[in-house]
Amino acid sequence: MATTTLHPPIAQPYRRSALYEWITTTDHKKIGILYFINSFVFFFIGGLLALGVRAELAQPGLQFVNEDLYNQFFTIHASAMLFLFIIPIGAAFGNYVVPLMVGAPDMAFPRINALSFWMLPAAGILMMGGFLAVGGAAAEGWTSYPPLAGPAYSGTGTDLWLMAVTLIGTSSILTAINFLVTIFKMRAPGLTLFRLPIMVWTQIVTSVLTLLATPVLASALIMQFIDRNYGGNYFDPGNGGSVVLWQNVFWFYSHPAVYIMILPFMGIISEVLPVFSRKPLFGYRAFVFATVAIGALGFSVWAHHMFTTGQVFLPFFALFTFLIAVPTGVKMFNWIATLWRGQLVLKTPLLFAIGFLTMFLIGGLNGAFAAAVPVDFAIHDTYYVVAHLHYVLFGGSVFGVMAGIYYWFPKMTGRMLDETVGKIHWLLMFIGFNLAFFPQHQLGLVGMPRRIADYAADAGWGDLNLVSTVGAFLIAASTLPFLWNIFASLRAGEVAGDDPWEGNTLEWATSSPPPPYNFDHLPEIHSTRPVFDLRHGADAGSTH
Amino acid sequence: MTSPSRMNGASPTVLIVAVVILFLLVGAAVLAVGGNLVRLAESFYPPAGVTSEGKEIRALYDLVFIFAAVIFFLVEGLIVWTVIRYRRKPGQDELPPQTHGNNLLEIIWTVVPAAIVGLLFLFSVQTLGTVDALSDDPAVKIRAVASRFAWQFDYLDESGNSLFTAYSPMVVPVGQKVQMSLRSPDVIHAFYVPQFLFKRDVVPGRDNRFDFTVDPADVGQTFRGQCAELCGTGHWTMVFEVKAVSAAEYATWRQEQIDAAQATPPPSAPPAALDLNLAAKDVKFSTLSLEVPANTPFSITFGNQDEGVPHNVDIYAGPDTSGSRVFDGGVPFEGKEVVIYRIQPLPAGAYTFNCRAHPIPAMTGTLTVK
Repeated sequence: MATTTLHPPIAQPYRRSALYEWITTTDHKKIGILYFINSFVFFFIGGLLALGVRAELAQPGLQFVNEDLYNQFFTIHASAMLFLFIIPIGAAFGNYVVPLMVGAPDMAFPRINALSFWMLPAAGILMMGGFLAVGGAAAEGWTSYPPLAGPAYSGTGTDLWLMAVTLIGTSSILTAINFLVTIFKMRAPGLTLFRLPIMVWTQIVTSVLTLLATPVLASALIMQFIDRNYGGNYFDPGNGGSVVLWQNVFWFYSHPAVYIMILPFMGIISEVLPVFSRKPLFGYRAFVFATVAIGALGFSVWAHHMFTTGQVFLPFFALFTFLIAVPTGVKMFNWIATLWRGQLVLKTPLLFAIGFLTMFLIGGLNGAFAAAVPVDFAIHDTYYVVAHLHYVLFGGSVFGVMAGIYYWFPKMTGRMLDETVGKIHWLLMFIGFNLAFFPQHQLGLVGMPRRIADYAADAGWGDLNLVSTVGAFLIAASTLPFLWNIFASLRAGEVAGDDPWEGNTLEWATSSPPPPYNFDHLPEIHSTRPVFDLRHGADAGSTH
Repeated sequence: MTSPSRMNGASPTVLIVAVVILFLLVGAAVLAVGGNLVRLAESFYPPAGVTSEGKEIRALYDLVFIFAAVIFFLVEGLIVWTVIRYRRKPGQDELPPQTHGNNLLEIIWTVVPAAIVGLLFLFSVQTLGTVDALSDDPAVKIRAVASRFAWQFDYLDESGNSLFTAYSPMVVPVGQKVQMSLRSPDVIHAFYVPQFLFKRDVVPGRDNRFDFTVDPADVGQTFRGQCAELCGTGHWTMVFEVKAVSAAEYATWRQEQIDAAQATPPPSAPPAALDLNLAAKDVKFSTLSLEVPANTPFSITFGNQDEGVPHNVDIYAGPDTSGSRVFDGGVPFEGKEVVIYRIQPLPAGAYTFNCRAHPIPAMTGTLTVK
């Protein structure tokens, strides 16, 4: 026998089609991008439904849809925007950015991560499938109050809606566990909790809220499903049930969910402002404590959605609702102090972040009116509340989404988005948003209830509704430069390089896009800004 | 602070464009109210409030508004000024001072907002105590029954028994305490009158109550009300009116209603030689214009095709329902059912027919008699 030379087998990448690769991927970055695509698909569907609603309300009279379809439109608009866009896109940013920011190669449970994602398109198809069901999609509002959402008054679409939201809730719970384990167990050496980027802190608090509140929602959804299909009577007052019970359980989830829908975007703003003002975040620890405080207080304010039910101990919930303004105000002042005496680079991410500050401020202040219980008796369930929630969730969250997209797009794709087109996008969205939603304050004050398909011609609401509709179409128009920007950049965008913005956090220490498993080597971590320290030295520009 | 601020490429252009466009927007808003600045300012406030409770709520709103407006202009101004003042200038290659925080500032902007919201909370609770109080001895007790998709108002005696049932308008005396109790046989509705600055949910299985007293200064006025909690396809049609009258007028009206309720309702008669067909479906009349010859008896065969929704047909002299009622269709009845109304000869002229439970355009038509 001749001597044999051992040739250890060299690992060859197994060639698979790109489609197969994307469907089976467990890479957090690819899953993150899938999350983004899925979220934007439902953002556009939800947006089209909103245009249907606004077109119908532009003038008195039913011109485009009947009452039944109208109710389906605003129900699925809100459900898609909240459950299939804003919550998942928070997880999209978390998926893409958090492992990079903590210096980890991937999420703690990559396969569970893939499972959480794939539940979402399935849930979306279930929910939209309602439009094909007998009796149409769910039409009881995204809050699905019984008895209207009970077996006597609603059809199959509502069952599909319940299944879809349960599936989304399951996905959220799995994602929350994944984030928490990743952040607590997989941080790079030297990255202590108080050196974590605020973006990561907001994901911690969001995940804790998700973990504590979502099972409560799931129980409510299952109870309603049993009521509808198996004679459960949980919410049937004729058989010993209580209709207000649903509201208590639903809002016990859905108010903390409002913070699930805003905290990740506060995190984005807290990353963008320091980088583009070339200063550290002002009051880092205050941000951490304020984020935790918002999360904690978020559990004691749910019944402020129920002030007019006559079944709530009002002073308690009024007090805590007012109190939650305090940590939110602390954040606002610290953001402004971050800009103060900085050198502001007015690129698109910063413009969207400033849009967030200016609009979220309005969303906070008009919320104070609703916290004053007697004033809430006047404005509850009117367009004032519609204005309030859009100033928080569009003026706040969506502006935060856009800041984050423009900020991390170069990292995700290796290419820059065009600044001019980005600024046109920002300007159109800013103007359209204010035109669409500011007049709704005035409509609510004069008494226009929400969720009405039509109104009398002599009610005097026509002009303001027309303005609001024009604004809504302007928002829709603003997505065209956005989509064009992405398309053009992917085709022939300027190459970004590793660190186009002079970033602070670890994702800027690797290539754009990052390789599988993210890092060849990590910089030493001595502060919240390891990449800044690498660039300037640890004590650069420090005054004290 | 040392270098004079200079323009810096495209970024300030965008800011200037933004500011110009914002001014244009404000200008458009001013034009939209016919250049009437008072009307523009008023649009940021709810109505003045026609009940004593509503006036209290309006006072609280005004207080919150002052705080909100001051904070808005301070903080928004600070943001805009900071963004304009601290733009990066060409040649600024040195890093700005790397300030990490200031504990004194953190304490100030925690304590001051906490004090403000604490104050607002105390004022809110104080107002709540008066607007949410229930009298043991109200002058008028009304039970509003909200069902898909109509309001009915049962006027109650001392012990809570129904004396008679009225449909819109709900007539109330000014200057007297009215206690509402709210009932729903089906889903959640909400009793909402914008000029009361008040709403309360009508929750199945619960007995929600509230009191109000209409200001005597508003005697003779009519206020719009509407269901404010989504209740299904006809939600927006659940409108009603509240009519404030003097105590004497109320007493007369009340007695008339009691007498009418005790009178035996006319039996449904066979159709007259001249019979018109009218149907109600999805809270809409099948036609909004009817025509009959003058001074001829006729009948209307009225089919209510809305299951569980009450409708009827009343006829008023004149172009709207403010005229005198020349034909009383009786208590609205739930579908699906057909009723034949026999109507006495009418002199030539324009009349209005409508459904008592649904004072909306889709259920208000013209009857031409010639």
